[in-house]
Order: sequence, then C-alpha cells, then structure tokens
Amino acid sequence: MEAGAVGDAWTGPQLAGFKDFYQFVAPTRVIAGRGLIESIGFEFAKEGARRVLVVTDETIRATGLIDRVQAGFPGDVDVDVAGIFDAVPQDSDGATVVACASAALECGANALLAVGGGSVMDTAKTAIVIFTHGGQPRDWEGYFGLPREADGMGQAIALAPLACIPTTAGTGSEASFAAVIKDREAHIKFAVADFAMYPRLAVLDPEATRTLPPAIAAATGMDAMTHAIEGHVSSEWNPHASAYALQALRLIRDNLESAVTDPDDEDARGNMLLAANLAIAPTSSSAIGIAHSLSHPCGAHYDVPHGIANAIHLPWVIEFNAGGGDPIADRYRDINQILGLQSGGSAVEVGHTLAEHVRSTVRTLGLPTRLSEVGVPEDGIPWLVEGAEGDGCTLVNPRETTAEDFAELYRQAL
Amino acid sequence: MAYFKDEQEVYRYIGQLFLDLMEDDELMPKFRRANTIVQYAFRDPDSTITVRMRQDAEPQVDLGPTDLAPEVVMSMTADTAHRFWLGKVNVTVALARGQMKAKGPVAKILKLVPLVKPVFPRYRTQLEAAGRGDLVEAS
Repeated sequence: MEAGAVGDAWTGPQLAGFKDFYQFVAPTRVIAGRGLIESIGFEFAKEGARRVLVVTDETIRATGLIDRVQAGFPGDVDVDVAGIFDAVPQDSDGATVVACASAALECGANALLAVGGGSVMDTAKTAIVIFTHGGQPRDWEGYFGLPREADGMGQAIALAPLACIPTTAGTGSEASFAAVIKDREAHIKFAVADFAMYPRLAVLDPEATRTLPPAIAAATGMDAMTHAIEGHVSSEWNPHASAYALQALRLIRDNLESAVTDPDDEDARGNMLLAANLAIAPTSSSAIGIAHSLSHPCGAHYDVPHGIANAIHLPWVIEFNAGGGDPIADRYRDINQILGLQSGGSAVEVGHTLAEHVRSTVRTLGLPTRLSEVGVPEDGIPWLVEGAEGDGCTLVNPRETTAEDFAELYRQAL
Repeated sequence: MAYFKDEQEVYRYIGQLFLDLMEDDELMPKFRRANTIVQYAFRDPDSTITVRMRQDAEPQVDLGPTDLAPEVVMSMTADTAHRFWLGKVNVTVALARGQMKAKGPVAKILKLVPLVKPVFPRYRTQLEAAGRGDLVEAS
C-alpha cells in the first residue's frame, strides 16, 4: 500500500462510527466582539500587514463603514491603508480579480483587507493568489493546486496577508479555503481552492452588519443554515465538522429570525456572524452536499443569489437524501433534536419534518420558495443538470445522485 | 516500491483500460459530454496518458507524447491511479490530501467519477487475465 493510503478499500459513505480518515483544518485567527473595527490595524499588523489595500464595493463604502475601517489604522500602529479598491460587483468575475491585484501592486500594498460579503471576500482571496504568484484567475482554477515546496508535495507557499471583515452573516468565506469567481463569457462559476487561501484573520463585529438589508440578512442566513446542515450530513462528515455545524445550528435557531426582523438586535447579528463562521468549518473536510450543487448553476446561468438558491433547494435535498435510508436519516435526526423537531419515525418522516421546518423558515423570512419566482425557466433544467452533475459538492453528498435525480429535484423546486 | 516497473507497464494496463473505454458504446457517449481533453500525469514511473473526450471530435487516447492540448491535468503517482481503477481511492480525500492534484476546470472530470464505477471490476479482470493478479493483491 502506498504511503498515505488508508484502509483496504473505499466502499462508500461512512455515516457513523470511527471514520477511516478525515482531515479538519481551521487556521484562520478569529476575533469576535464589539468595537473591533477600530482596532483592525492593531490586529492585522500581527499578521504581517504593513501597507493594506482595502477591498470592498460601492454599496458598503456608501454606508460609511470604510471610513471607520480607515480610522482603525491610527498613526501609532505600524500599518497603514495604501489604497481602497471599491469596484467589486455582485458575483465578482475574473476581470475584477485582476484589477484588484493590479491595484494592490500599484499602491505598493503588501496585504489585502476585504470588507464586504462573499463576493468581496472571494475577490480578495483570489486576488491575493494573483498578487503573490501572478497569472490569471483561471490559471489557478481547481483544488489544492497552489505552488508548494518539494516539487508540489510539500508545504504550501504562503500568500500575502489577508484579513476579512464580513458584512453579511452567511458565506463564511472569511474562514474558508475556497473562492468562487464568475467567468461571464463561459457562464460558469469556477473555484480556486487551497489551504493557503485561508485568510489569516477574520474580524466578527456586529457593527459591520448594522446596515445589512433584511432580505440579504435572510438569504445569507439561509446560506449559513445550508452549510451547517450539509456539513453534518455529508459523506465527509466528521466529529470536528459536526461540532462546528451543530453549534452553528443552535445559534441560527436562536438568532436568525431576530437578526432579520430587528436590525437593532446587535446580539442576534453578532451571533449570526458566529454561526456563519462556524457553519463553514466543515468545508475544510469537504463536508457539503448537493443543495450547493443545485445552487451554483442557478447563480451562473440565472444570477440567482446563492443564499436564495440554497434556501429553495435545501428542503427538497433533505427529503431526497433522507429517502436514501436510515444511516443518512439518522444524521438529520441529530439536527431535528437541536431544532426542537420530531426526531422519531421513519427515514422519510424525519426528512419531511426537517424539510417542512426549513420551508416554514424560508416563508417566515420572506424569501422566495420557488425557482420560477427568481427567473429560472423550466427549459433551463438540462443546462442546470449539467452544472450540478459536475459540481465538486456532488461527490460528497451522502446519497449518490444521478442526472435524473438532479432533473427531478430542479422540477420539484421550480 | 511502485506497482509498475516502468512506463510501458503503466501504458499496458492503465493505458489499455482507456483504449478499451474508447470502444465502449455505452460509456463513451457519456464521457464525451465532458467535452474536454484531460491529461493524467503520473509519477513513479513518469508516464502520461492524454484523453480527448470532446463532442466535436472523435475520442482519442495518447500514451506518452501527445499533440493534444489538455484542458485539465490530473497529477498523481501511478500507484494512486492503479488503486483508483481498482475502486480503492476516495477522490475527494485524495484531492484533499494532495495524493491527486487537479488543474483546470476540474468539474468536467469530477462528474465522470460516478460513471466510472462499473469500470473498476473490468480493470481487475483485465489484470487477472494478463496474469497480473499480483497487482490486484498488492494494492
């Protein structure tokens, strides 16, 4: 057996017991609390930042948040703001990433600070790769392909310092190793992913989400819920990942609705930032599922916001997966217990109970519940199925999913 | 010690499997939906298999040097490839551990992974028919 190989044979998802193998990684330093934005310079200097390009979008900048971030770099710390790049669009693309990396070079930055939602953070995460290693974004497309020592098999070569202040509570990109960028010509989203891409610092301060519109708070909150549920149920589940996922679900259970309906509830907003940050952790083990496989093509083809797509797909996926048998349904039972739902009954029943709870939550939050409400046409399903089949998340779903299964799931969600 | 003693053994067994797949009337149309050219770059021993699975061109497998321009490059030891075709490698884990490296639009290849499961017993049978049951046992 070659070095590093495990077990005698891989026979399929192992949904309980001591796993043959798993890997869990969480290298990002997280600081959480109130009033942290005003000390961002002090904290980022500890990560090697000296001249910082702030990456954001025009909407965030217009709220005045970037002014407060700049004030967090006072003269008595050995780090300053070298420039501001505020041209990140919704669903960022390769051209924006290149422009961001160029801006960093031109202003003499040695570090990037992302202040924004998933699109801003993923732009900065991909730009830091270009800034450090050169090339174009799609040159680095793929998983675990960044330069390493020892002819590609050794330690990953460190990227320039990157810190994130998330302004939405959902993607968790401030503590993940992947970035998703749009190729507008090819109508696809592609991933650049490697452990070196974990930001060095994540700052979770509810002040950063104070101006978040309720609809976006709802959609991104459902993204976090999807990460947590899929993280616990994925074929790549593991005790570390589940510890994070289930604690995230407790926080979501107690805070999501308040964070959406009462923007003055700072505790709820702060706890949702924590929930999103915890919920992304299972992805370090590739623990995710086909709600994401279904959602990614909807964003690429029809610009459906990721959180909304996940909110629509998640209940159908829960019912589909639970129908795969007791070993899968038992993982949903854990979730039902945490959410105060009926956790007994058959596999189908436990899945249906959770799915109905998710549907009810989505309705309460005022989000769309159907793909047809967000511009996805029925005749687009063949293209969507192609994308879902080839999505990396499909391989780690607890139940094997065929093209016909994907088509049926899309029809159900339509 | 590596399973294969030289690149010719890689081509004789793993390469032949790809050549046989090109003739498979059931699987090949599904593979061509990937619409890509993938290169498998093996180490220990160094060897290269390049496969054209495009909708606008006939399937093609090149063992060794090639004029095809790969869109996706999958790098791994020949041992890992051998174990994959025996059904003994979890691709997700192999990618995460660096046992497999993937460059390019990997999604085009990942969606083929569930499709190749029926090929695993075929590879085993092929090895045994060639008198190389030792390669099955050793892995």
